[in-house]
Amino acid sequence: MARTLLCEIVTPERIVYTNEVEMVIAPTLDGEIGVLPLHAPLVTVLRAGELRVRYNDNKDVEWFAISGGYLQVHEDKVIVLADAAEHSSRVDVERARRAKEFAEQRMAEMKDKPLAEREGIDECEADLKWCEIQLQVAERRS
Amino acid sequence: MPNLRDIKQRIVSVQSTSQITRTMEMVATAKIKKAQERIESARPYAFAMMEVLQNVARYVQGASHPLLEEHPERQRIVVVTITSDRGLCGAFNSNILRITEDLVRDEAAEGVSADIIAVGKKAIGYLRYRGIEPVATYRDISDKPTFADARSIAASIIGRYGAGEIDAAYIVFNRFKNVAEQKAETYQLLPIERRVMESDEDENGLRAEYLFEPTAAEVLEHLLPTYVETLVYRALMESAASEHGARRTAMKSASDNASEMITTLTRSYNRARQAAITTEIAEIVGGAAALEEA
Repeated sequence: MARTLLCEIVTPERIVYTNEVEMVIAPTLDGEIGVLPLHAPLVTVLRAGELRVRYNDNKDVEWFAISGGYLQVHEDKVIVLADAAEHSSRVDVERARRAKEFAEQRMAEMKDKPLAEREGIDECEADLKWCEIQLQVAERRS
Repeated sequence: MPNLRDIKQRIVSVQSTSQITRTMEMVATAKIKKAQERIESARPYAFAMMEVLQNVARYVQGASHPLLEEHPERQRIVVVTITSDRGLCGAFNSNILRITEDLVRDEAAEGVSADIIAVGKKAIGYLRYRGIEPVATYRDISDKPTFADARSIAASIIGRYGAGEIDAAYIVFNRFKNVAEQKAETYQLLPIERRVMESDEDENGLRAEYLFEPTAAEVLEHLLPTYVETLVYRALMESAASEHGARRTAMKSASDNASEMITTLTRSYNRARQAAITTEIAEIVGGAAALEEA
């Protein structure tokens, strides 16, 4: 049995995942990082993207959609603080697709407006991104 | 002499009211539990968040960030007022609205104008009635607040504070003390008080040397807005739990009052019935006596 680290994925609403894993691969602002056991203490900012953990001698992989957040590594414990997170098997594809269409529509409407009137465009863009990631992760279902 | 039928009708009406209040009491009791669980499940995130924040703050000595800066002159503040969407919960909303009004008045006395963000139909209705137009309103979130709601509320405050449009932000909400007790409270959201970033642990322990990606300052820059969002989220949830608690207490006393009233009414009903019977007997006896004499 390989050395493991405890991975915890928490959102403000609930604990999404806790497990002993062998590797955590997370999307940071500057690209993906992989965290292995005995990693030095680290705090980093995550962007919206896919996070995956490997365990069981690297044979099993689980995918999560993450809408951005933070990651802290300390003494073989990885805490992922995500604004929103969803396991690949729990993504509501239908809902994500509808939300994506809605966000795209709103984006299109805003494109025609002058810059000053584009209120909430960042939020809308983030929504869109989040939907895309959820759909992307849903594809990873085995 | 009260009419028998009138009393009967009142008893029936009080009974049906007490049925409603009793049901609402039970519904509220069930909802408190769920709301409490929701607060519980937010705790791991909040703890981890504080830990990260304190870790980062240690490395960014004398950290400067727009959200930490106190503005030297106060001209405009924002007050987030959290009430419920529904009534029948005792003094729950009136406490909040009173505190909000006091706050606005005190600030106005010092020449500071206040914008109000109203959460809950009760705040919206009350403020509009008083001729105060809230800058933003949120309804139908008080029962089941989500992090996205909190985020949207926080976003506008953070943006305006960063732009220097406002000089402080407060949130007024009911803190959930226990099932039977709520406390209306004012909390300062912005500027973020520096003491929250100081860790309580003593200095002697061996501290881990953290790496920061990209840099500690940049992590802090992301972290502080999120911190404000979690504060708002927490307040929303506490308010939701408090609402059910307040409603349960209010409905319980309403039910108790109703049963007391039914007892009193039943007593006067019986008395009236007795009196009617007595009168009738007296009449019969009187009639019979009159017949005998004839």
